[in-house]
Amino acid sequence: MIPRDAHDLSRPDYAEFKSFVALNVEPFAETWDREQAIPRAVIDKMAKAGYLGCTLPVEYGGQGRDVVTFGLLNEAFGRAFAALTGVLTVQAMVSMALAKWGTAEQRRRWLPALAKGEKIAAFAITEPGAGSALKSLATQFTQKAEGQPLVLNGSKKWISCAQFADLFLVFGMLGQRSVACLVPRDAPGLRIEPIDELMGFRGAGLAQLHFQDVEVPAANLVGKPGFALSHVAPVGLHYGRISTACSALGLLRGCFEESIAYAATRKIGDRSVGDLGMIRSLIARMGTNLEAATHLCHNACRAQDDRLPEVFEKTLMAKYFTSKAAVSAASDAVQIMGAAGCHGSSPVSRYYRDAKIMEIIEGTSQIHEDLLGKIFVAQAGERAE
Amino acid sequence: MREADIKQAVRQFISSAVRLPDLGDDDNLFESGIVNSLFAVQLMTFVEKTFGIEVEADDLDIENFKSLNATTHFVVRKNGHGAG
Repeated sequence: MIPRDAHDLSRPDYAEFKSFVALNVEPFAETWDREQAIPRAVIDKMAKAGYLGCTLPVEYGGQGRDVVTFGLLNEAFGRAFAALTGVLTVQAMVSMALAKWGTAEQRRRWLPALAKGEKIAAFAITEPGAGSALKSLATQFTQKAEGQPLVLNGSKKWISCAQFADLFLVFGMLGQRSVACLVPRDAPGLRIEPIDELMGFRGAGLAQLHFQDVEVPAANLVGKPGFALSHVAPVGLHYGRISTACSALGLLRGCFEESIAYAATRKIGDRSVGDLGMIRSLIARMGTNLEAATHLCHNACRAQDDRLPEVFEKTLMAKYFTSKAAVSAASDAVQIMGAAGCHGSSPVSRYYRDAKIMEIIEGTSQIHEDLLGKIFVAQAGERAE
Repeated sequence: MREADIKQAVRQFISSAVRLPDLGDDDNLFESGIVNSLFAVQLMTFVEKTFGIEVEADDLDIENFKSLNATTHFVVRKNGHGAG
Protein backbone atom coordinates (compact mmCIF):
# COMPACT_ATOMS: atom_id res chain seq x y z
CA MET A 1 0.00 0.00 0.00
CA ILE A 2 1.16 3.52 -0.69
CA PRO A 3 2.23 5.13 2.57
CA ARG A 4 -0.40 7.66 3.43
CA ASP A 5 0.08 9.35 6.70
CA ALA A 6 -3.09 10.57 8.29
CA HIS A 7 -1.98 14.14 8.51
CA ASP A 8 -1.81 16.03 5.27
CA LEU A 9 -2.29 14.12 2.07
CA SER A 10 -6.06 14.08 2.40
CA ARG A 11 -6.24 17.84 2.70
CA PRO A 12 -8.30 19.52 -0.01
CA ASP A 13 -5.52 21.92 -0.91
CA TYR A 14 -3.20 18.99 -1.70
CA ALA A 15 -5.87 17.63 -4.06
CA GLU A 16 -6.07 21.10 -5.62
CA PHE A 17 -2.30 21.21 -6.12
CA LYS A 18 -2.28 17.74 -7.64
CA SER A 19 -5.08 18.70 -10.03
CA PHE A 20 -3.16 21.79 -11.06
CA VAL A 21 0.01 19.89 -11.89
CA ALA A 22 -1.92 17.07 -13.60
CA LEU A 23 -3.47 19.61 -15.94
CA ASN A 24 -0.74 22.21 -16.35
CA VAL A 25 2.58 20.53 -15.64
CA GLU A 26 2.79 16.75 -16.00
CA PRO A 27 1.80 16.57 -19.68
CA PHE A 28 4.54 19.03 -20.60
CA ALA A 29 7.34 18.12 -18.20
CA GLU A 30 9.26 15.96 -20.65
CA THR A 31 9.19 18.71 -23.29
CA TRP A 32 10.25 21.45 -20.88
CA ASP A 33 13.05 19.24 -19.61
CA ARG A 34 14.27 18.53 -23.13
CA GLU A 35 13.99 22.17 -24.22
CA GLN A 36 15.46 23.43 -20.93
CA ALA A 37 12.81 26.09 -20.63
CA ILE A 38 9.67 26.70 -18.60
CA PRO A 39 7.07 28.79 -20.44
CA ARG A 40 6.16 32.02 -18.70
CA ALA A 41 2.52 31.04 -19.23
CA VAL A 42 2.70 28.26 -16.63
CA ILE A 43 4.43 30.54 -14.14
CA ASP A 44 1.62 33.04 -14.75
CA LYS A 45 -0.92 30.31 -14.03
CA MET A 46 0.90 29.45 -10.80
CA ALA A 47 0.81 33.13 -9.89
CA LYS A 48 -2.89 33.40 -10.69
CA ALA A 49 -3.56 30.43 -8.43
CA GLY A 50 -1.73 32.27 -5.65
CA TYR A 51 1.10 29.76 -5.41
CA LEU A 52 3.91 32.31 -5.68
CA GLY A 53 2.68 34.11 -2.59
CA CYS A 54 1.60 30.99 -0.72
CA THR A 55 3.03 31.87 2.69
CA LEU A 56 3.17 35.64 2.35
CA PRO A 57 0.79 37.53 4.62
CA VAL A 58 -2.57 38.50 3.16
CA GLU A 59 -1.83 42.17 3.85
CA TYR A 60 0.83 41.99 1.13
CA GLY A 61 -1.35 40.17 -1.36
CA GLY A 62 -0.19 36.70 -0.33
CA GLN A 63 -2.31 33.70 0.53
CA GLY A 64 -1.25 33.64 4.16
CA ARG A 65 -1.25 29.85 4.13
CA ASP A 66 0.65 27.82 6.67
CA VAL A 67 3.99 26.22 5.92
CA VAL A 68 2.48 22.73 5.96
CA THR A 69 0.42 23.82 2.97
CA PHE A 70 3.51 25.31 1.34
CA GLY A 71 5.18 21.93 1.82
CA LEU A 72 2.30 20.14 0.15
CA LEU A 73 2.47 22.59 -2.74
CA ASN A 74 6.13 21.85 -3.25
CA GLU A 75 5.53 18.13 -2.92
CA ALA A 76 2.89 18.18 -5.65
CA PHE A 77 5.17 20.12 -7.99
CA GLY A 78 8.19 17.98 -7.09
CA ARG A 79 6.23 14.89 -8.12
CA ALA A 80 5.49 16.47 -11.51
CA PHE A 81 8.52 18.54 -12.49
CA ALA A 82 11.17 19.42 -9.95
CA ALA A 83 12.65 22.24 -12.02
CA LEU A 84 9.41 24.16 -11.65
CA THR A 85 9.67 23.97 -7.88
CA GLY A 86 12.77 26.09 -8.37
CA VAL A 87 10.41 29.01 -8.99
CA LEU A 88 8.47 28.27 -5.80
CA THR A 89 11.74 27.87 -3.91
CA VAL A 90 13.47 31.09 -4.83
CA GLN A 91 10.31 33.17 -4.80
CA ALA A 92 9.77 32.05 -1.21
CA MET A 93 13.43 32.55 -0.29
CA VAL A 94 13.42 36.18 -1.38
CA SER A 95 9.86 36.96 -0.31
CA MET A 96 10.18 35.55 3.19
CA ALA A 97 13.59 37.12 3.78
CA LEU A 98 12.10 40.44 2.69
CA ALA A 99 8.98 39.93 4.80
CA LYS A 100 11.19 39.35 7.85
CA TRP A 101 13.93 41.90 7.35
CA GLY A 102 12.66 44.42 4.82
CA THR A 103 11.70 47.95 5.80
CA ALA A 104 8.03 48.89 5.74
CA GLU A 105 8.64 50.69 2.47
CA GLN A 106 10.44 47.69 0.93
CA ARG A 107 7.66 45.36 1.98
CA ARG A 108 4.99 47.68 0.62
CA ARG A 109 6.85 48.17 -2.64
CA TRP A 110 7.98 44.65 -3.46
CA LEU A 111 5.92 42.02 -1.66
CA PRO A 112 2.58 42.52 -3.44
CA ALA A 113 4.32 42.22 -6.81
CA LEU A 114 6.13 39.08 -5.67
CA ALA A 115 2.95 37.58 -4.21
CA LYS A 116 1.08 38.11 -7.45
CA GLY A 117 3.94 36.92 -9.63
CA GLU A 118 4.25 40.29 -11.33
CA LYS A 119 7.87 40.06 -10.27
CA ILE A 120 9.86 36.83 -10.20
CA ALA A 121 12.75 36.86 -7.77
CA ALA A 122 16.11 35.12 -7.55
CA PHE A 123 18.40 34.59 -4.57
CA ALA A 124 21.89 35.60 -5.68
CA ILE A 125 24.35 34.32 -3.11
CA THR A 126 26.50 31.62 -4.74
CA GLU A 127 29.64 32.77 -6.53
CA PRO A 128 32.15 31.07 -8.80
CA GLY A 129 34.50 30.87 -5.81
CA ALA A 130 32.00 30.71 -2.95
CA GLY A 131 29.31 28.07 -2.73
CA SER A 132 28.93 26.59 0.70
CA ALA A 133 31.73 28.81 2.04
CA LEU A 134 29.59 31.92 2.21
CA LYS A 135 32.11 33.84 4.28
CA SER A 136 34.32 33.89 1.19
CA LEU A 137 31.99 36.14 -0.81
CA ALA A 138 33.96 38.27 -3.24
CA THR A 139 31.10 40.40 -4.52
CA GLN A 140 31.81 43.93 -3.38
CA PHE A 141 29.55 46.83 -2.59
CA THR A 142 31.04 50.26 -2.11
CA GLN A 143 29.38 53.39 -0.78
CA LYS A 144 30.81 56.87 -0.52
CA ALA A 145 28.76 57.74 2.53
CA GLU A 146 25.85 56.33 4.47
CA GLY A 147 22.62 56.95 2.61
CA GLN A 148 24.44 57.36 -0.70
CA PRO A 149 23.84 54.87 -3.55
CA LEU A 150 25.85 51.65 -3.47
CA VAL A 151 28.03 50.49 -6.32
CA LEU A 152 28.14 46.76 -6.96
CA ASN A 153 30.89 44.75 -8.65
CA GLY A 154 31.40 41.01 -8.91
CA SER A 155 29.67 37.92 -10.20
CA LYS A 156 27.24 35.27 -9.06
CA LYS A 157 26.92 31.77 -10.48
CA TRP A 158 24.39 28.91 -10.51
CA ILE A 159 21.54 31.30 -9.70
CA SER A 160 18.20 29.55 -10.15
CA CYS A 161 15.55 31.40 -12.17
CA ALA A 162 18.03 34.15 -13.04
CA GLN A 163 17.33 33.74 -16.75
CA PHE A 164 13.84 35.13 -16.25
CA ALA A 165 13.87 36.78 -12.81
CA ASP A 166 12.91 40.43 -12.52
CA LEU A 167 14.52 41.06 -9.15
CA PHE A 168 17.64 39.74 -7.43
CA LEU A 169 18.47 39.64 -3.75
CA VAL A 170 22.24 39.98 -4.02
CA PHE A 171 24.64 39.16 -1.19
CA GLY A 172 28.10 40.65 -0.93
CA MET A 173 30.48 42.59 1.24
CA LEU A 174 30.45 46.28 2.10
CA GLY A 175 33.94 46.58 3.48
CA GLN A 176 34.08 43.96 6.21
CA ARG A 177 30.31 43.81 6.61
CA SER A 178 28.03 41.43 4.72
CA VAL A 179 25.07 43.06 3.01
CA ALA A 180 22.00 41.99 1.07
CA CYS A 181 20.60 44.29 -1.58
CA LEU A 182 17.70 44.22 -4.02
CA VAL A 183 18.85 44.71 -7.59
CA PRO A 184 16.33 44.96 -10.44
CA ARG A 185 17.01 43.06 -13.65
CA ASP A 186 17.19 46.23 -15.70
CA ALA A 187 19.90 47.84 -13.54
CA PRO A 188 22.55 49.27 -15.89
CA GLY A 189 25.77 47.26 -15.64
CA LEU A 190 24.08 43.93 -14.90
CA ARG A 191 24.72 41.24 -17.52
CA ILE A 192 22.94 37.89 -17.31
CA GLU A 193 24.64 34.89 -18.88
CA PRO A 194 22.42 31.77 -19.13
CA ILE A 195 23.79 28.43 -17.89
CA ASP A 196 22.35 25.53 -19.87
CA GLU A 197 23.09 21.82 -20.26
CA LEU A 198 22.68 20.96 -16.60
CA MET A 199 22.12 17.29 -15.89
CA GLY A 200 19.00 18.06 -13.87
CA PHE A 201 16.66 20.92 -13.05
CA ARG A 202 16.74 21.66 -16.74
CA GLY A 203 14.34 24.54 -17.20
CA ALA A 204 15.09 26.14 -13.85
CA GLY A 205 16.68 29.02 -15.74
CA LEU A 206 20.07 29.10 -14.09
CA ALA A 207 22.43 31.91 -14.99
CA GLN A 208 25.59 33.69 -14.07
CA LEU A 209 25.25 37.33 -13.11
CA HIS A 210 27.96 39.86 -13.88
CA PHE A 211 27.81 43.17 -12.05
CA GLN A 212 29.96 45.97 -13.32
CA ASP A 213 29.60 49.26 -11.47
CA VAL A 214 25.92 48.62 -10.89
CA GLU A 215 24.44 51.48 -8.91
CA VAL A 216 21.64 50.69 -6.48
CA PRO A 217 19.89 53.00 -4.02
CA ALA A 218 20.80 52.61 -0.35
CA ALA A 219 17.07 52.09 0.21
CA ASN A 220 17.46 48.69 -1.46
CA LEU A 221 19.60 47.31 1.38
CA VAL A 222 17.73 44.54 3.21
CA GLY A 223 18.57 44.38 6.90
CA LYS A 224 21.44 46.24 8.46
CA PRO A 225 24.97 45.96 7.04
CA GLY A 226 26.83 43.23 8.89
CA PHE A 227 23.82 40.94 9.27
CA ALA A 228 23.24 39.64 5.75
CA LEU A 229 24.99 36.32 6.30
CA SER A 230 24.00 35.80 9.92
CA HIS A 231 20.32 36.78 9.67
CA VAL A 232 19.02 37.63 6.18
CA ALA A 233 20.48 34.71 4.22
CA PRO A 234 19.57 32.05 6.81
CA VAL A 235 15.89 33.03 6.66
CA GLY A 236 15.90 32.69 2.88
CA LEU A 237 17.94 29.50 2.88
CA HIS A 238 15.66 28.04 5.52
CA TYR A 239 12.63 28.43 3.27
CA GLY A 240 14.75 27.12 0.41
CA ARG A 241 15.47 23.97 2.41
CA ILE A 242 11.82 23.49 3.32
CA SER A 243 10.87 23.88 -0.32
CA THR A 244 13.61 21.57 -1.57
CA ALA A 245 12.92 18.92 1.07
CA CYS A 246 9.24 18.81 0.16
CA SER A 247 9.98 18.88 -3.54
CA ALA A 248 12.35 15.94 -3.03
CA LEU A 249 9.55 14.22 -1.13
CA GLY A 250 7.32 14.61 -4.17
CA LEU A 251 10.02 13.18 -6.39
CA LEU A 252 10.49 10.29 -3.97
CA ARG A 253 6.76 9.65 -3.99
CA GLY A 254 6.85 9.68 -7.78
CA CYS A 255 9.63 7.08 -7.81
CA PHE A 256 7.65 4.89 -5.46
CA GLU A 257 4.38 5.15 -7.34
CA GLU A 258 5.99 4.55 -10.72
CA SER A 259 7.94 1.59 -9.34
CA ILE A 260 5.02 -0.21 -7.71
CA ALA A 261 2.82 0.35 -10.75
CA TYR A 262 5.50 -1.13 -12.98
CA ALA A 263 6.24 -3.97 -10.60
CA ALA A 264 2.59 -4.92 -10.42
CA THR A 265 1.91 -4.92 -14.13
CA ARG A 266 5.13 -5.80 -15.95
CA LYS A 267 5.29 -9.52 -16.69
CA ILE A 268 8.35 -11.70 -16.88
CA GLY A 269 7.04 -15.01 -18.15
CA ASP A 270 4.06 -15.82 -15.97
CA ARG A 271 5.22 -13.69 -13.08
CA SER A 272 5.20 -9.96 -12.46
CA VAL A 273 8.33 -7.97 -11.70
CA GLY A 274 6.95 -7.44 -8.22
CA ASP A 275 7.12 -11.17 -7.55
CA LEU A 276 10.89 -11.00 -7.58
CA GLY A 277 12.42 -10.78 -4.13
CA MET A 278 15.21 -8.45 -5.23
CA ILE A 279 12.67 -5.99 -6.60
CA ARG A 280 10.63 -6.20 -3.45
CA SER A 281 13.71 -5.29 -1.45
CA LEU A 282 14.19 -2.15 -3.51
CA ILE A 283 10.55 -1.21 -3.15
CA ALA A 284 10.55 -1.94 0.58
CA ARG A 285 13.46 0.43 1.10
CA MET A 286 11.85 3.07 -1.10
CA GLY A 287 8.48 2.87 0.64
CA THR A 288 10.01 2.99 4.10
CA ASN A 289 12.16 5.97 3.20
CA LEU A 290 9.07 7.65 1.78
CA GLU A 291 7.21 7.18 5.03
CA ALA A 292 10.15 8.46 7.09
CA ALA A 293 10.70 11.43 4.78
CA THR A 294 7.00 12.29 4.93
CA HIS A 295 7.22 12.58 8.69
CA LEU A 296 10.46 14.55 8.66
CA CYS A 297 9.12 17.05 6.13
CA HIS A 298 5.83 17.40 7.92
CA ASN A 299 7.57 17.93 11.26
CA ALA A 300 9.81 20.62 9.76
CA CYS A 301 6.86 22.45 8.24
CA ARG A 302 4.84 22.17 11.43
CA ALA A 303 7.78 23.43 13.49
CA GLN A 304 7.94 26.49 11.27
CA ASP A 305 4.23 27.10 11.67
CA ASP A 306 4.68 26.81 15.43
CA ARG A 307 7.83 28.97 15.25
CA LEU A 308 9.80 26.49 17.30
CA PRO A 309 13.50 27.25 17.82
CA GLU A 310 14.36 23.70 16.75
CA VAL A 311 12.83 24.31 13.33
CA PHE A 312 16.25 24.83 11.77
CA GLU A 313 17.62 21.44 12.74
CA LYS A 314 14.34 19.76 11.84
CA THR A 315 14.51 21.36 8.40
CA LEU A 316 18.16 20.38 7.97
CA MET A 317 17.24 16.79 8.79
CA ALA A 318 14.26 16.81 6.44
CA LYS A 319 16.25 18.20 3.53
CA TYR A 320 19.26 15.98 4.19
CA PHE A 321 17.33 12.75 4.56
CA THR A 322 14.76 13.35 1.85
CA SER A 323 17.18 14.48 -0.85
CA LYS A 324 19.42 11.48 -0.20
CA ALA A 325 16.43 9.15 -0.15
CA ALA A 326 15.25 10.67 -3.43
CA VAL A 327 18.62 9.99 -5.05
CA SER A 328 18.51 6.40 -3.87
CA ALA A 329 14.87 5.93 -4.90
CA ALA A 330 15.43 7.41 -8.34
CA SER A 331 18.34 5.07 -8.94
CA ASP A 332 16.28 2.09 -7.78
CA ALA A 333 13.27 3.15 -9.82
CA VAL A 334 15.37 3.20 -12.98
CA GLN A 335 16.78 -0.19 -12.00
CA ILE A 336 13.32 -1.65 -11.49
CA MET A 337 12.05 -0.36 -14.83
CA GLY A 338 15.16 -1.35 -16.71
CA ALA A 339 15.49 0.02 -20.23
CA ALA A 340 12.06 1.65 -20.01
CA GLY A 341 13.31 3.71 -17.08
CA CYS A 342 16.32 4.89 -19.03
CA HIS A 343 14.27 6.55 -21.75
CA GLY A 344 13.29 10.21 -21.68
CA SER A 345 9.63 9.29 -22.01
CA SER A 346 9.70 7.84 -18.50
CA PRO A 347 9.54 10.31 -15.61
CA VAL A 348 11.96 8.18 -13.61
CA SER A 349 14.79 9.01 -15.99
CA ARG A 350 14.17 12.68 -15.21
CA TYR A 351 13.80 11.91 -11.51
CA TYR A 352 17.23 10.26 -11.65
CA ARG A 353 18.84 13.45 -12.96
CA ASP A 354 16.81 15.90 -10.88
CA ALA A 355 17.25 14.05 -7.59
CA LYS A 356 20.99 14.57 -7.55
CA ILE A 357 20.54 18.33 -7.84
CA MET A 358 18.40 18.28 -4.69
CA GLU A 359 21.30 16.85 -2.74
CA ILE A 360 23.38 19.87 -3.70
CA ILE A 361 21.15 22.96 -3.70
CA GLU A 362 20.46 24.96 -0.52
CA GLY A 363 23.50 23.32 1.08
CA THR A 364 25.09 20.04 0.08
CA SER A 365 24.52 16.88 2.08
CA GLN A 366 28.02 17.29 3.48
CA ILE A 367 27.25 20.78 4.75
CA HIS A 368 24.10 19.40 6.35
CA GLU A 369 26.11 16.65 8.00
CA ASP A 370 28.61 19.17 9.33
CA LEU A 371 25.90 21.42 10.77
CA LEU A 372 23.77 18.62 12.17
CA GLY A 373 26.82 16.95 13.65
CA LYS A 374 27.72 20.16 15.49
CA ILE A 375 24.17 20.57 16.74
CA PHE A 376 23.90 17.00 17.99
CA VAL A 377 27.31 17.06 19.68
CA ALA A 378 26.39 20.31 21.45
CA GLN A 379 23.20 18.68 22.70
CA ALA A 380 25.15 15.67 23.91
CA GLY A 381 27.51 18.01 25.74
CA GLU A 382 24.59 19.62 27.48
CA ARG A 383 23.29 16.24 28.65
CA ALA A 384 26.72 15.26 29.92
CA GLU A 385 26.95 18.28 32.22
CA MET B 1 8.41 37.39 33.48
CA ARG B 2 11.13 38.48 35.89
CA GLU B 3 14.56 39.31 34.52
CA ALA B 4 16.07 36.43 36.47
CA ASP B 5 13.60 34.01 34.85
CA ILE B 6 14.35 35.42 31.40
CA LYS B 7 18.05 35.00 32.03
CA GLN B 8 17.60 31.43 33.18
CA ALA B 9 15.55 30.57 30.09
CA VAL B 10 18.11 32.19 27.79
CA ARG B 11 20.95 30.38 29.56
CA GLN B 12 19.17 27.08 29.15
CA PHE B 13 18.66 27.68 25.45
CA ILE B 14 22.25 28.74 24.82
CA SER B 15 23.51 25.72 26.73
CA SER B 16 21.38 23.46 24.56
CA ALA B 17 22.80 24.94 21.40
CA VAL B 18 26.41 25.63 22.28
CA ARG B 19 28.93 23.30 23.85
CA LEU B 20 30.32 25.68 26.44
CA PRO B 21 30.44 24.12 29.91
CA ASP B 22 31.18 27.32 31.83
CA LEU B 23 29.11 29.97 30.11
CA GLY B 24 29.90 33.38 31.57
CA ASP B 25 27.17 35.99 31.65
CA ASP B 26 29.18 38.28 29.37
CA ASP B 27 31.05 35.73 27.25
CA ASN B 28 30.87 36.81 23.63
CA LEU B 29 29.12 33.97 21.86
CA PHE B 30 29.96 35.09 18.36
CA GLU B 31 33.63 35.79 18.91
CA SER B 32 34.16 32.46 20.61
CA GLY B 33 33.90 30.55 17.33
CA ILE B 34 31.83 27.89 19.01
CA VAL B 35 28.44 28.72 17.57
CA ASN B 36 27.25 27.20 14.32
CA SER B 37 26.21 29.34 11.37
CA LEU B 38 22.54 29.02 12.27
CA PHE B 39 22.91 30.00 15.90
CA ALA B 40 22.00 33.66 15.34
CA VAL B 41 18.64 32.81 13.83
CA GLN B 42 18.09 29.98 16.29
CA LEU B 43 18.56 32.44 19.15
CA MET B 44 16.30 34.96 17.43
CA THR B 45 13.56 32.36 16.93
CA PHE B 46 13.91 31.27 20.54
CA VAL B 47 13.43 34.74 21.99
CA GLU B 48 10.55 35.46 19.64
CA LYS B 49 8.72 32.28 20.54
CA THR B 50 9.52 32.18 24.23
CA PHE B 51 8.97 35.81 25.10
CA GLY B 52 6.36 36.76 22.50
CA ILE B 53 8.41 39.48 20.86
CA GLU B 54 9.30 40.22 17.26
CA VAL B 55 12.94 40.79 16.37
CA GLU B 56 12.93 43.43 13.64
CA ALA B 57 15.55 44.86 11.32
CA ASP B 58 16.15 47.78 13.68
CA ASP B 59 17.06 45.28 16.40
CA LEU B 60 19.92 43.88 14.35
CA ASP B 61 22.76 44.95 16.56
CA ILE B 62 25.39 42.57 17.86
CA GLU B 63 25.14 44.34 21.21
CA ASN B 64 21.64 42.88 21.56
CA PHE B 65 22.65 39.25 21.21
CA LYS B 66 26.38 38.90 21.82
CA SER B 67 26.10 37.29 25.26
CA LEU B 68 23.75 35.86 27.82
CA ASN B 69 23.45 39.20 29.56
CA ALA B 70 23.03 41.13 26.30
CA THR B 71 20.22 38.88 25.12
CA THR B 72 18.49 39.01 28.49
CA HIS B 73 18.63 42.80 28.57
CA PHE B 74 17.34 42.96 24.99
CA VAL B 75 14.33 40.85 25.90
CA VAL B 76 13.65 42.96 28.99
CA ARG B 77 13.84 46.18 26.94
CA LYS B 78 11.71 44.75 24.17
CA ASN B 79 9.09 43.62 26.63
CA GLY B 80 9.00 47.11 28.04
CA HIS B 81 9.81 46.23 31.61
CA GLY B 82 12.83 45.51 33.69
CA ALA B 83 11.48 44.24 36.92
CA GLY B 84 13.48 41.64 38.62
